[in-house]
Amino acid sequence: MLKSWLTASTGLAALAALGCGLVSPTAAQAATTLSLVVADYGTGPADTSQKYWQTIADDFHAANPDITVKVQTINWNDFDTKVQTMVQNRQYPDITEGDYFSNYAQEGLLYKASDVFTDPDNLMPVFKTLGSYNGTQYGLPFTTSARALFYNKKIFADDGITTPPATWDEVAADAAKIQAKGKIGFGLPLGPEEAQAETLLWFLGNGGGYQDASGKWVINSPQNVETMEYMTKMVKAGDTEPNPGTKNRTDLFEQFGEGQIGMMNGEVALLPIISKANVLKPEDVGTAAIAGKTGAIDKTLGVCDFVAAFKGDGTKQAEIKKFLDFAYQDKYQLAFVNEYLELPGTTSAAVALAKTNATLAPFVKALPNAVQYPNDPSWAQVKTQIQQIIGTAIGPDPKSVLDTIQQTALKGS
Amino acid sequence: MGVLTAEQSVTTRVRRKAWSPAKLAPLLWVGPAMLLIAVVVLWPVVIMIRTAFQHISPDGFILGSAGWKNFVYLWQEPDLPGILIRTVIWVVSIVACTMLISLVLSQLFNQKFPGRRAARWALIAPWAASVMMTSIVFRWALDANNGVINVFLNDIGVLYGYNNNASDWLGRPGSAFTWMIIVAIFVSIPFSTYALLAGLQGIPSDIYEAAKVDGASPWRTYRSITLPLLRPAFIVALLINVMNVFNSFPIIWEMTRGGPGHRTSTTTTFMYQLKQSYIGESAAMSVVNFGMVVIIVLIYLRVTVWGKDEAS
Repeated sequence: MLKSWLTASTGLAALAALGCGLVSPTAAQAATTLSLVVADYGTGPADTSQKYWQTIADDFHAANPDITVKVQTINWNDFDTKVQTMVQNRQYPDITEGDYFSNYAQEGLLYKASDVFTDPDNLMPVFKTLGSYNGTQYGLPFTTSARALFYNKKIFADDGITTPPATWDEVAADAAKIQAKGKIGFGLPLGPEEAQAETLLWFLGNGGGYQDASGKWVINSPQNVETMEYMTKMVKAGDTEPNPGTKNRTDLFEQFGEGQIGMMNGEVALLPIISKANVLKPEDVGTAAIAGKTGAIDKTLGVCDFVAAFKGDGTKQAEIKKFLDFAYQDKYQLAFVNEYLELPGTTSAAVALAKTNATLAPFVKALPNAVQYPNDPSWAQVKTQIQQIIGTAIGPDPKSVLDTIQQTALKGS
Repeated sequence: MGVLTAEQSVTTRVRRKAWSPAKLAPLLWVGPAMLLIAVVVLWPVVIMIRTAFQHISPDGFILGSAGWKNFVYLWQEPDLPGILIRTVIWVVSIVACTMLISLVLSQLFNQKFPGRRAARWALIAPWAASVMMTSIVFRWALDANNGVINVFLNDIGVLYGYNNNASDWLGRPGSAFTWMIIVAIFVSIPFSTYALLAGLQGIPSDIYEAAKVDGASPWRTYRSITLPLLRPAFIVALLINVMNVFNSFPIIWEMTRGGPGHRTSTTTTFMYQLKQSYIGESAAMSVVNFGMVVIIVLIYLRVTVWGKDEAS
């Protein structure tokens, strides 16, 4: 009895010693796991961003066996909410790729770009301000895009429209012609998915915007009210799909791809949806400058998605830097461009792209001129509210809706 | 304060020793359950109420006390009155329709007919399927461009054309809300029907025979025997339905996300939307919701006690 107990205990001791022996060297090497939370740019399981990032994570792990990157993909509709919930619950991801909000920087949750990336100068300079808070850059541009008017050449030809519309009146007139033949004239996505982009494109057409040149919020400016009134008139006349406040961009783009919509504002990243629908050929789709009140707008909306690195407990800075330097190589940037038809986030990749891709080259050229979203800590709330209620500004009283959003902007966080 | 004599202190000690373990014994059995309730139910309530009085940044940093400000902001929300009215309509219409339909259905399923077993199984389907899935199916079926319901209505000549205002059921707040009520009734019926069916089967058949002997008409029998004896099952089903419907989130979230604006939101979905930017205000909304649930429960307790009094 005693003997067996003894053997058992020595066995245990040996096991424990073995355990220590096994564990301690690796612990000294710090087998780090980085959690990477990314937005999904794909349209389904076949082209989910999970695959793109997993490839990078695997390559990186092969080069750095002591660091494992765990990839979590979240669809765009839920991305902001989920990341914010993680932050609210103090379960910080190490790295995010998607929307970036300066309030995270304001609260001191993020690493400076220069702390986690060796060559910040290679990041597209035009988006530097957007990724900055108080003059310091926190958001690293990862992928960018520029907006344009997309139109269905077939529908235009059938309805005798020869040139894409440049003014709002032309948009309305052309849309009415298309609508008369039973298709949707103009696709107007004011539903929660990306209403802040569509709204800004229309505001720009009338010399308006969310902020004026000095950074003051002007959401309920007379120009913007006038813009919403014009849009209301178009919706009432049936030039758009019914009830645009409930329609999301991806859904409308799918309808565009099925040949049901004459024209809508979009970005090249939506082209894969069209090819997936397999109804329109690439040559059926035309792009033009976005229409404005008196003429096409000379500036487009440039959108940039950022990488941000959260400090968490502050122990993983070196590993994050290693990974970001690895993931930002031109080959991965260009792989992303080819997969999703977005534009790159680094200058070196943009230069390489402009040389090789004739379709995307004009969009790359338009980027430095692009208008951007406000860089302001209350943008997160303003954006959420625009997404939720801007659709109700299509109606008898757009001013009161814009007033509400303006108040949110002034109230701050 | 008198000084205890040695004798007195001994007796108290003895007495305490004598009955304290006996008194604590039940706690041993009830304790874990009480602890569970305290941790899982009461503690979150405390936290919720505390949060409602805090000023919290959108990213979850506590910036100090807010006093009653969160409630004031909540009350100043221009959409709140509409949301409250809609919540009442939502609960009353769904529960009333569900209970009425279930009364009829349970009566039907209590009859003997060929294929009854299969029919009873089929009734479970809307209950067994995920509510979220059912909602998505309906959302697709109502799609303005090619939803199957719109295709059907076009085929039989009720609607003309697609992508117009009439076919865009979920785009207009009124029709969207009506459709969501229909979906909610659809998923609530199985449970209440089964609850009532169980109640029906619990009614002894000799009472019916006695009624027959007395020459009571079927309607009279139903009113004087079935309905009163069904009351316990009915009240339980009613209360559970009220709670479920009041807290219902997935139907509204999947079909309209409360949009356009907040025009198809109830207090439950509105609370969730507030949480994104205003945690304190969202907690204030939760407190209001919680208060409403407590009131419903109190009414229920009164009603059941009243039912017992009358029965005895």
